[in-house]
Amino acid sequence: MKHWWKILSVMILLYVMTIGLMAPLSPGITSVTPITAKTGGQISVDVTGYNSNYTKSKEIIRAWLYLDTLHAVCSDAIKVIDDTHLEIAFTIPNDLPVKGERASANLLINTDKDGTSLNPAAISISRNSVNNSEIKADWISCSIDNLFVNEQYDYPFRNILGETIRNLYFHVPMWFGMIFILLASVIYSVKYLAKSNPINDIKAQSYAAIGLIYGVMGLVTGGIWAEYTWGSFWSNDVKQLTSVASLLIYLAYFVLRSSFEDTDKKARISAVYNVFAFAALVPLLFVIPRLFASLHPGNGGNPGFGGEDLDNTMRTVFYPAVIGWTLLGFWMGQLLYRYGNIRRKMYDDF
Amino acid sequence: MNIIQSTLYLVQKEFVLEFRQKYAISGILLYVLSTVFIVYLSIVNVRLPVWSALYWIIILFASINAVVKSFVQENSDRALYYYTLAHPNAILFSKIIYNFLLLLVLTFLTFGAFSLVAGQPVKEIQLFFITISLGSLGFAIALTFISAIAGKANNGATLMAILGFPVIIPILITLVKLTATALRLIQDTSNWKDITTLLAIDGIMIALAVILFPYLWRD
Repeated sequence: MKHWWKILSVMILLYVMTIGLMAPLSPGITSVTPITAKTGGQISVDVTGYNSNYTKSKEIIRAWLYLDTLHAVCSDAIKVIDDTHLEIAFTIPNDLPVKGERASANLLINTDKDGTSLNPAAISISRNSVNNSEIKADWISCSIDNLFVNEQYDYPFRNILGETIRNLYFHVPMWFGMIFILLASVIYSVKYLAKSNPINDIKAQSYAAIGLIYGVMGLVTGGIWAEYTWGSFWSNDVKQLTSVASLLIYLAYFVLRSSFEDTDKKARISAVYNVFAFAALVPLLFVIPRLFASLHPGNGGNPGFGGEDLDNTMRTVFYPAVIGWTLLGFWMGQLLYRYGNIRRKMYDDF
Repeated sequence: MNIIQSTLYLVQKEFVLEFRQKYAISGILLYVLSTVFIVYLSIVNVRLPVWSALYWIIILFASINAVVKSFVQENSDRALYYYTLAHPNAILFSKIIYNFLLLLVLTFLTFGAFSLVAGQPVKEIQLFFITISLGSLGFAIALTFISAIAGKANNGATLMAILGFPVIIPILITLVKLTATALRLIQDTSNWKDITTLLAIDGIMIALAVILFPYLWRD
């Protein structure tokens, strides 16, 4: 089986498309009203859930408002309206255990059916100048423990990301794929310089073309993702700028190729440029973004896309997606190379 | 004759040629002065971010015009004669050194002329001088090698800009950031990291240029 890796890439991508798009998100909280509260009072909070099954839970729904792991209050009463709506009553203690006029409390809901869902910084609590003597509650009255765990196969719910978290299987593998494919292109350029075999030049050119396509796809998928999460298709993020610059390098490579008539000279000079340009590409994609603030995860003080975001269920799709897209790219590159080779044999033109 | 000696002779030759003809260097200097003057005429009141942007745009175009003659505009028969006399890398080194010195003059002259007409807003002058010196070095290495590539094609001068800009961008982004720090547009404590990055990029580029040039010069 010479073509096993092509079959493998198709199988993996089918798996990525079906599992990556069909598996649900874990239950989450999309909105909470009101978003402000005062100390020493009772509030009733309307919660809208996402993918949640509040009516199917066997009356074990618990909710906490917490400032940090040591300071939490339990709900007084929970009223289930339907599967995605809850009405929760909280008593806010008289005191804030932090400095400053306000603190943001996180809302945590745990049910036996859905497991834990969290809305970070859900309610902003401000200090009330008057103490309410009827309130007996305090911040350490209720600890968060005995949580039910959701055993379903699903992807984490993140408030800004929502369903777009699935784009991780398409956007990030494009860049991984681009790097691997362009690396192959550079290796064939070096091979050409070592031994002037025109086949190596056609391979270098084909892989550079596919790498360019992957780069464009990476920009487009990233732009669509940014439209939904950062608010606009283009926001002059440093990674957007450097990736456009890296695409310019490879566009210049094709302009350079088209400016030669002698095929041997074309192959040699463009191989030299390909190697030199790759040396500019590496700092552009891996060093420069680290020097600047960026909206991307893992840059400019933002947490990396790891830990809770890239959890184990996502890894089961993400790593295969990287392998699948890379193999598909090599397959496309090979088709382009074979077409180029046929042209070379028929017309001596490539 | 070893490679260092022949490099020094070749640099000397570049200077001798330059002083005999003078049109190249005076052309570049006039280019800088007239650009600066046009900037002054069109934008009378130059704000800080604009100062940095204009400064680097002037430097970028002036250096491409300055470096383009090293391989692109050179007579190919005479070049072949040099290659019979000296090691190709000695020729490459001599061009890089010559272009570095030329760009150094260019950047400092532009800074002087620009400060005269648009004001001198640089707060950390030492950092700024380090930045523009490193910038000249990086531009000299990258553009000299690109001009060697572009010189092999028919439409060299156009190709020079197309191939040169994307390769220079990593250097330029770092330079612009350092300039912003020198102008105190941003507060930054990682200047040494940026300078090391610049030096590393320069190092990689010069190493690759040395490895790749022997494949390039032969026709």
